[in-house]
Amino acid sequence: MLGFFFRRLGDIIPTFFGVTLLVFFLIRLIPGDPILMMAGERGVDAARYAQLKAQYGFDQPLIMQYFHYLLGVFQGDLGKSFVTKKPVLEEFLTLFPATVELGVVAILFALVVGLPLGVIAAVRRGGIFDYTTMTVSLAGYSMPIFWWATMLIMFFSVFLGWTPVSGRLSVLYFIEPTTGFMLIDTLLSDQKGAFLDAVEHLILPAIALGTIPMAVIARMTRSSMLEVLREEYIRVARAKGLSPAKVVIVHALRNALIPVVTVIGLQVSVLVAGAILTETIFSWPGIGKWIVEAVSRRDYPTIQGGILLIAMMIMMVNLMVDLTYSVINPRIRHTR
Amino acid sequence: MALLEVKNLTVEFGSENNPFRAVDSVSYSVDRGEVLGIVGESGSGKSVSSLALMGLIDYPGRVTADSLTFDGQDLLRMPARQRRKITGKDIAMIFQDPMSALNPCYTVEAQIMEALKVHEGGNKRQRRERTLDLLNQVGIPDPKSRMTAYPHQLSGGMSQRIVIAMAIACNPRLLVADEPTTALDVTIQAQIIDLLLKLQADSDMALILITHDLALVSEAADRIQVMYAGQLFESGPADGLFAAPRHPYTQALLEALPERSEGHDRLRTIPGVVPGAHDRPDGCLLAPRCRYATDKCVAQQPLVEDYYGRDVRCFYPLDDNGQPTGRTA
Repeated sequence: MLGFFFRRLGDIIPTFFGVTLLVFFLIRLIPGDPILMMAGERGVDAARYAQLKAQYGFDQPLIMQYFHYLLGVFQGDLGKSFVTKKPVLEEFLTLFPATVELGVVAILFALVVGLPLGVIAAVRRGGIFDYTTMTVSLAGYSMPIFWWATMLIMFFSVFLGWTPVSGRLSVLYFIEPTTGFMLIDTLLSDQKGAFLDAVEHLILPAIALGTIPMAVIARMTRSSMLEVLREEYIRVARAKGLSPAKVVIVHALRNALIPVVTVIGLQVSVLVAGAILTETIFSWPGIGKWIVEAVSRRDYPTIQGGILLIAMMIMMVNLMVDLTYSVINPRIRHTR
Repeated sequence: MALLEVKNLTVEFGSENNPFRAVDSVSYSVDRGEVLGIVGESGSGKSVSSLALMGLIDYPGRVTADSLTFDGQDLLRMPARQRRKITGKDIAMIFQDPMSALNPCYTVEAQIMEALKVHEGGNKRQRRERTLDLLNQVGIPDPKSRMTAYPHQLSGGMSQRIVIAMAIACNPRLLVADEPTTALDVTIQAQIIDLLLKLQADSDMALILITHDLALVSEAADRIQVMYAGQLFESGPADGLFAAPRHPYTQALLEALPERSEGHDRLRTIPGVVPGAHDRPDGCLLAPRCRYATDKCVAQQPLVEDYYGRDVRCFYPLDDNGQPTGRTA
């Protein structure tokens, strides 16, 4: 088990180098000079330009720049943002909890809704429930997030007025960040109604972001359950005289979960991509919005650092998914 | 009164208008402590009829019967909840492939204890003790360490022993064994059959043994039932059924045994295959493959009739010399 863990950890190293390489060179392919961007409309004279270029190390060959960057990364230094002049890591860490909070709630929404839908659709295959669920989830899967999020805002926030339009918390409340997770921070604070306000702010973005994973989970659960329900051990379980609910939940679902967990792991990268749109639409102060802004300002260190950190996070999540398999599936646990 | 009484059991699949009968009006009974052997080719409805008995035929399959009574209770006309109290407790079943009969996610112990929990209750310690007893009973070496094993760590023979332990956990009065040795190694087959017969004799449990193995049923069974394409072709006491088959199909099955082909160049076979959903003959289902078939056989379906103490579905049952009787021309 421990060996398995370290072997998987070892797989991360080449991926890490790949990501640094890709990000570093790809952003330099985008037209636009960061120094001219910083200078803005006023422009900059040639002497000052050369001075700035030397200051940021842009006068050196690309390869050298890359090695300097890599050297910094190994010392835990992701550089400073060109725009805010603050260390990238520090900015990331302040914004990251907001994205995690949104992502976790979105995936919880996807699981809580998607899993039962998939299970019931499989058990009642060919019925009206099955067809309805699968059609709706196909629609959910095909929906562009920006459109879906806008529709949600239009209907629930503007038309019905049930939820706030954007942001994480109303201006009425001021919460000193302790954990960075608004749901926890508001609970810890003694301001009445702050928690409920945070929840209200979170509902729509979480639904917008969780819809695609929900649809994927529902469909995957259904097809995986259908496969498992044909297995002989399901028949054996029924022959024991177990109730249908027990057969489905105890015997079928656990076996069906293995591919579903894989899909959930893959959905994390979908979530990050989706978070960029969702955060921009709902003005959610997370890393998605942060990176979009960094790209438009050619803020190289922020883009490099942000993407590297996100990539590391996704790799960690996939490692966790692999470890989860072995909890669900004894056959993996016992293989060395 | 017989322990199990089946009258005109029919299992249909497919549409209402054009159903396929996997089991066609089969009647039989099993007494307490009796061993009933059911033989027949693949596709003859042996497994489906036993699944119907367990209540494991799913929609769109339809099960009908004039009666399906177990110990005086009509299984088909009781609520599902009540039937589940009988299934797994009084009637248990062993399936063909032990390797796929165990849930890969749970330990041996958990899967046996589950059956005990549903039907017997008791606390965890009692159930664990009973499980250990059962594993001893089915001849698992070092049962204590096997308790916590997962199915993928067991061999086929070992798995089948676990499946048997699971089936007999609640002391069933009727055990249905559906080709319990088909998926096993030849050396293990004999051991498993011996185990089943020993358990049967020790506990006075009735046993329905479904198999392809004619030698096995002739030795082990009290009564034998020969099935073909979902119909009962011949049934009667095991004594003499194979010595003097009354149905041409039984005779042909016996002739196909390798040991009966000595002196012949090739093994003897029954030409053709069991009719499926789309090629069922109008008359006797065996007619296209039967060497004695007449125009009457092709046109008309024979009914099951009593013939010297056996139930036989044939217009021309065989005499002691293996020749068809009552045939003109």
